Amino acid sequence: MDSISINGARIYFEIPIFGGIPVTETQVNSLLVILAIFILCKVLTHNLNVRPTTKRQIIAEWVVEKVTGLVTENMGVRFKAFVPFIAALLSLSALSSLTALLGMYPPTADLNTVMGWALLVFVMITYYKIKTGGILGYLKSFTEPIVVFTPFNILGEVATPVSMAFRHFGNVVSGTVISALVYAALAGLSTVLLGWLPGILGVIPWLQVGLPAVLSIYFDLFSGCIQAFIFAMLTMLYIASAAGEDEA
Amino acid sequence: MDYLELISLNIWHIVSAILNLLVLTWIVKKFLFVPVQNMLAQRQAQLDTLYTEAEEANTAAKADRAAYEEKLAGAKAEAEEIVRSATVRADRMSDQILAEAAEKASEKMRRADADIAQEKKKAINEIKNEISGMSVDIAEKVVGREIKEDDHKVLIDSFIENL
Repeated sequence: MDSISINGARIYFEIPIFGGIPVTETQVNSLLVILAIFILCKVLTHNLNVRPTTKRQIIAEWVVEKVTGLVTENMGVRFKAFVPFIAALLSLSALSSLTALLGMYPPTADLNTVMGWALLVFVMITYYKIKTGGILGYLKSFTEPIVVFTPFNILGEVATPVSMAFRHFGNVVSGTVISALVYAALAGLSTVLLGWLPGILGVIPWLQVGLPAVLSIYFDLFSGCIQAFIFAMLTMLYIASAAGEDEA
Repeated sequence: MDYLELISLNIWHIVSAILNLLVLTWIVKKFLFVPVQNMLAQRQAQLDTLYTEAEEANTAAKADRAAYEEKLAGAKAEAEEIVRSATVRADRMSDQILAEAAEKASEKMRRADADIAQEKKKAINEIKNEISGMSVDIAEKVVGREIKEDDHKVLIDSFIENL
């Protein structure tokens, strides 16, 4: 039986500056996803008409209205400027996870990717907290309800991006890991049960047909979309609550 | 080929992830949201215009109908007035015509009566003359001599008068 190795992204090459920056599958696939979304945007908004004549335009309008509705429902109308950011987050996360369906390495299985997003969201949360309560109010919020709680509050604050990143990362990676394990197990089972078949027929891991597809539907399609949605929802809720009550 | 560790952190990868997300935000905004929102705003503007125009048209139509109904009511009143005045005039005229006819008829009757009276008088006179002539003739025959008609005319007339 082959040994199972579960690795991170494959390193294509290293940029020889700052002690070497590895360029991995994550970077390449991320760019491919961004390119795909860019092309999708261009295609969907091609020849927009006040009276919709194409299915493309109806899809484009649906997407815009849905994301706008999602953001205004969860964050309020004052955060309308966040709509493109949330749309980008949703599409990048979902499509990154879905690249696994094409047999590519999903960028969301790289902790760096989701950690980057979570840190960006953390910066936004902190910005809105400081903007709402002032720098002193922000610092003072760590000592509430009593000073003894300060370490826990700081821990809780730091836990926000870490938990967001690891939740997303863990869900995607677990799918990859389980898929790899199941594949390996099925290959072993195939060899044991059907290895007596003559010639090449005995080499083909027949049992790998079927079950992995079902798992892929769950881990890549369902879990990928759900995690994108959860990440976006948490982003919206954290930022909206950081900004406090609607002043309007 | 080398692989990254399953769980590894690299500051440059984190930075690139952040930049990717920001760039995609810009892309989604510029190439999806702005065009669609512009189009939606345009549609809204067109709808507003259409609604305004429709409302204006509706108001105008209502005003037109009110004016038309008013005119119609006026026309009805006018027609009634015309009919009424025509009836009055016709009544007056028929009265006048009847009166004239009656007058003419009575005039004719009167004239006829006068004519009849005159004819009667004439006939009576003629008969008188005839009788007086005949009387003279008879008297001549009775007396056997000639009675001068003119001499006795007065006498005879008084006789006939007393007849």
